[in-house]
Amino acid sequence: MTNDMKTMKQLLILAITLVSMLSMAISCREPEPEPEPEPVVVDKDYNFDLYVCAVKHGGMSQNKNGTYVRSVPALTADQPRVEFTGKGVDITQNYTLESITRGKYYYQVPQKATGGFVKFHIERNAAGDESIVEDAEVPFKDNVYSARKYTHAWIGDSTTLVIIGTADKAKKIIWSKLSESNLAIQSEGTFDIKLPEGFNAFSTAGLLTYRKSDKKLYYFYLTKREAGQSDAATSVTNIAIINPETMQVESNTAVPSAVMEETAGSAYGELMQSMIMYDEADNLYVAGMITVNDQEMGILRRIPVGSKTFDATWNGFPNPEGKLLTVQYLGNGKALSYSRDETLGTKIDSKSHFYSIINLANGSRERVKFNGQDLQYCGGRFSQRSVVVNNKAYIGVGGEVEGEAETNYPTIYIYDCKTGVVEKGIELSKGFCFDIIRAMDVK
Amino acid sequence: MRFGYRLIVSLALLGLSVPLAGQDSLSVKGALGDTLVLHNATVTAKSREQQLREGAFAVGALNIRLQASTLQSLTQAIDRTAGIRIREEGGVGSDFDLSINGMSGNSIRYFLDGMPLDAKGTGMTLANLPVNIIDRVEIYKGVIPASFGSDALGGAVNIITNRSNRDYLDFSYGIGSFHTHKADFSAQYIGKKTGLIFKPVLSANYSKNDYLMHDVKVRNEEHTAFVIKDLPRFHDDYLSLFGQLEVGVADRSWADAFFVSASVSKIDKEIQTGATQDRVIGMAERNTQSLNVAARYEKAGFLTEGMQFQASVSHTWDHSQTIDTTYRRYYWDGTYINGGYSEIRSRGKTWRHYRRPMTVLRSNLAYRVADGHELALNYLLNRTGNKQVDTWDSDFVPTDDVLAKHIISLSYDQSLLEGRMNNALFVKDYVNHLTVGQSEIPSTTGSDKVKGSNTQNYLGYGVGTRYLFADPLAVKGSFEHSIRLPVSREVLGNGSTVYPNVALKPEISDNFNLGLFGTFDLGGGHTLSYEANGFFRLVDNYIRATVTETESMMQYVNVDAVHIKGVDGEIRYDWAGKLHAAANVSYDDSRDMRKYTQSGDLSVTYKNRTPNRPWTYCNAEVSYTFRNVGLRDSRLRLTADYQYVHWFYLTWAAYGSASTKSKVPTQHITNASLLYAWQGGRYNVSLECTNLLDALAFDNYMLQKPGRAFFLKFRLFL
Repeated sequence: MTNDMKTMKQLLILAITLVSMLSMAISCREPEPEPEPEPVVVDKDYNFDLYVCAVKHGGMSQNKNGTYVRSVPALTADQPRVEFTGKGVDITQNYTLESITRGKYYYQVPQKATGGFVKFHIERNAAGDESIVEDAEVPFKDNVYSARKYTHAWIGDSTTLVIIGTADKAKKIIWSKLSESNLAIQSEGTFDIKLPEGFNAFSTAGLLTYRKSDKKLYYFYLTKREAGQSDAATSVTNIAIINPETMQVESNTAVPSAVMEETAGSAYGELMQSMIMYDEADNLYVAGMITVNDQEMGILRRIPVGSKTFDATWNGFPNPEGKLLTVQYLGNGKALSYSRDETLGTKIDSKSHFYSIINLANGSRERVKFNGQDLQYCGGRFSQRSVVVNNKAYIGVGGEVEGEAETNYPTIYIYDCKTGVVEKGIELSKGFCFDIIRAMDVK
Repeated sequence: MRFGYRLIVSLALLGLSVPLAGQDSLSVKGALGDTLVLHNATVTAKSREQQLREGAFAVGALNIRLQASTLQSLTQAIDRTAGIRIREEGGVGSDFDLSINGMSGNSIRYFLDGMPLDAKGTGMTLANLPVNIIDRVEIYKGVIPASFGSDALGGAVNIITNRSNRDYLDFSYGIGSFHTHKADFSAQYIGKKTGLIFKPVLSANYSKNDYLMHDVKVRNEEHTAFVIKDLPRFHDDYLSLFGQLEVGVADRSWADAFFVSASVSKIDKEIQTGATQDRVIGMAERNTQSLNVAARYEKAGFLTEGMQFQASVSHTWDHSQTIDTTYRRYYWDGTYINGGYSEIRSRGKTWRHYRRPMTVLRSNLAYRVADGHELALNYLLNRTGNKQVDTWDSDFVPTDDVLAKHIISLSYDQSLLEGRMNNALFVKDYVNHLTVGQSEIPSTTGSDKVKGSNTQNYLGYGVGTRYLFADPLAVKGSFEHSIRLPVSREVLGNGSTVYPNVALKPEISDNFNLGLFGTFDLGGGHTLSYEANGFFRLVDNYIRATVTETESMMQYVNVDAVHIKGVDGEIRYDWAGKLHAAANVSYDDSRDMRKYTQSGDLSVTYKNRTPNRPWTYCNAEVSYTFRNVGLRDSRLRLTADYQYVHWFYLTWAAYGSASTKSKVPTQHITNASLLYAWQGGRYNVSLECTNLLDALAFDNYMLQKPGRAFFLKFRLFL
């Protein structure tokens, strides 16, 4: 053996020894203590279900890329950022993101088209993964509804669900009553409402609401010259007052076009967006639209308690920048609006949508601000990223400001309805379009 | 007396070693006129299929004639080829999607003797083309010879019909599970005096497709709740009729071949489900009738020696109807309730007529510059109209769309080193002209973005080379920068379950292939051959089918950048034409390479595997042939095969948690068949059992495939 070879052999032995020692050192090293989980501040009454859509904003059958839901116990800033990549329950194939909710339950005509209604809830396991548990499913009886094309109201201390939709190419208006607990269909029928001369279709669903003070169902629907999308100027808004016990139409009147041409939405009820609200006195407010200078603009009308028609002299959304999309009552004569500035774009993903606080006493409104700055404009024509519970309004913005992509995350801001103070809440991960917050009552 | 000769001859028949069983000697005329008498010699022949595999391009080749007596449809045979996957929506006549090396079905072009297959009518597919008329199938993976004049991106399937030069009659009838019946007739008669050649073809397929659907929801007797049951399909009847007469002459001074033909086809198809089986349909149907006239001309030595000219012209009148005139909501037990919307589209009632006239002109002029050097110029015109009217929905505004493609290609082929090296170079010019008239559901179909006419021009090019070191080892490589113009189904929809997307852009791809192949003659009649191919595709504007959230409809959409790489390999073993075994495995890795979204954020699907497509699958087949069993000059062949498809996600992996994501589950399918033929193949009886183990199988999300099925077929060949 030459010296060189000896040297090489010694070096090899040394190297093997060093590697072995290093391996042992690594394997014997004390495991690092796992970081203490941050304390979770839980609002015991609610879980918040956060909906995102892939690629572009969803809602109202606009989404073709998937809808994913995560359920979190709180929306405060101390919560970890909500991750969506590889997370969240995929509802795309089976359910619609438009839904009726009550308590912890969802009620809907599912996307999977099994021919009935379904009731389900979202569960979160110990690992934080969500799943859907179906609680009841019943087939249609005689009246058939399509996914997302219906409107609803709760009656009888919220033990009965009333569904209204249209049939026969939107030429008939049908209704069904379901039991909340097991979805059993109690009764069904077709309203004796005819299309006036020159009109060819009703709105796909209309808007239904139950007013406690007079114990009546108010059904706002459109009569349209043509089926499908139409100009507001060619439609007529109607109000049918319905006895919830007998489902008889007690009155049916057309709204003058100067008061409201169309409700803010009419195809999918309030399954996603909130367009009807009540104040403490049970005044009924409806978001609508009216044509101004050949452009459809938002309007907020009110049916005062005791009355069954709009107060034509009152408008809670004067001098609109564009369409009024959603309204939610905050208490103390204030409401949260989500509306659009037409000059900034009218597409579903246009960053032209913003939040305001409306003072219902005088119709004035002001952009929602955080640290003195307006909350940013965001996309999502059909989004409902705000919810009001426990005297707090949780307001989501999309994190879609160009040029700030690396730092700007979708964020939920928290508006204190009593003090008017806005604080920053939880953030969501990027890469998806943030569309809905639902507060699920789990108490 | 024994000779050590091994004759390598192109018999154009069997790719197998054929011992001279049943005879002791074979006389062979030598080049010098001497006659050699070979005793107990083994003749090893390279089939056309083998020759094709040894060409410069990546090709799969199938001899259909050998399988025609057992096959129900061409898709069965093609689905067992390496790198090929066929996804079927259901039973006989159901829509299917073929992928080659990971490229989706519509990236693939289909040809019948070099002409686009859909010239026979939009209803004519691999699934209902009469098997008996087919000699072989060539499957080009990725790179396609310029002679096809095609804009295929992922590959092409070229079906070659029988070109026998003698009279024959071929008739078969088969009966199978789910009320399936198939009858095919083809013949050739050559007039003794006139030399006129008559080639009639008749084919009929019928199936009720009433196979059992497992675990479907139906109403209980009181209609107050759902119960889970296994129930047969009840609205899936399929009928296809095809007739063709081809008349012509061959081997004349002015033409090697000149034929004119006329064919008619009729497809009636009930529709049972939407894009998923939750949507049950009980009344809607789709019907298609087509009439095609065509002529083809071939002449070697055209104008001058060394010049070859081929030309084909075809016109098709194609009329499809989608009848969706019921407001009903069906359940799997066949009961229904009256609803407010139509079955397929969930909108108003429609009786939509699609008239898609199609004109195809193809010409190929080749000139042999010198031995082993050939130039060729090819031109293809394909013009498809799409006129829609509705005889039920008075609100529907008739539309008139036109999709026209002109593809001009120039190619150069050379053969060097006594054929050990082959090279091919080509360049293609694609011109796409689209005229959009429709305006229905603009937010979905994009008809508001593409109005009027527009013409676009694209350039493609490619090269292929093959070097044969020795029989056991050869290497080949090819590259193509190709353009794939969207087909009418992708752009204009299918009238029932596929929405139009008139804003769809062409796919553009750089395709690389590298392959090894070889054959080992192990002696004693044992032959082992192999091939292995690697491929890489860089695709822009990849066209992907999506199930839209709205109404369970499908639609084709562009994905910005997709990279597909993969391998497939196949091993074939044969012993004396008795024992045959083959196995192949295919893997492809298709990824979304679009790093940033439009807003500048990192895309969450960056480097995700492209969803809703199989990416690992394999096939294995073994057969044994007994000769002279019972009757003289008979053979009995027993075959078993197994297919495996790995599960895959319906949507991107980054979307939603793995536990709740929709998946298409793993498939294990085993098939078995028995063929008995006697009098040299004049009479054949076969019995086939597909899905022998009655496995629950899905090719597409929530669309069950048939369970165990039997098919008995008799074939007469005179």
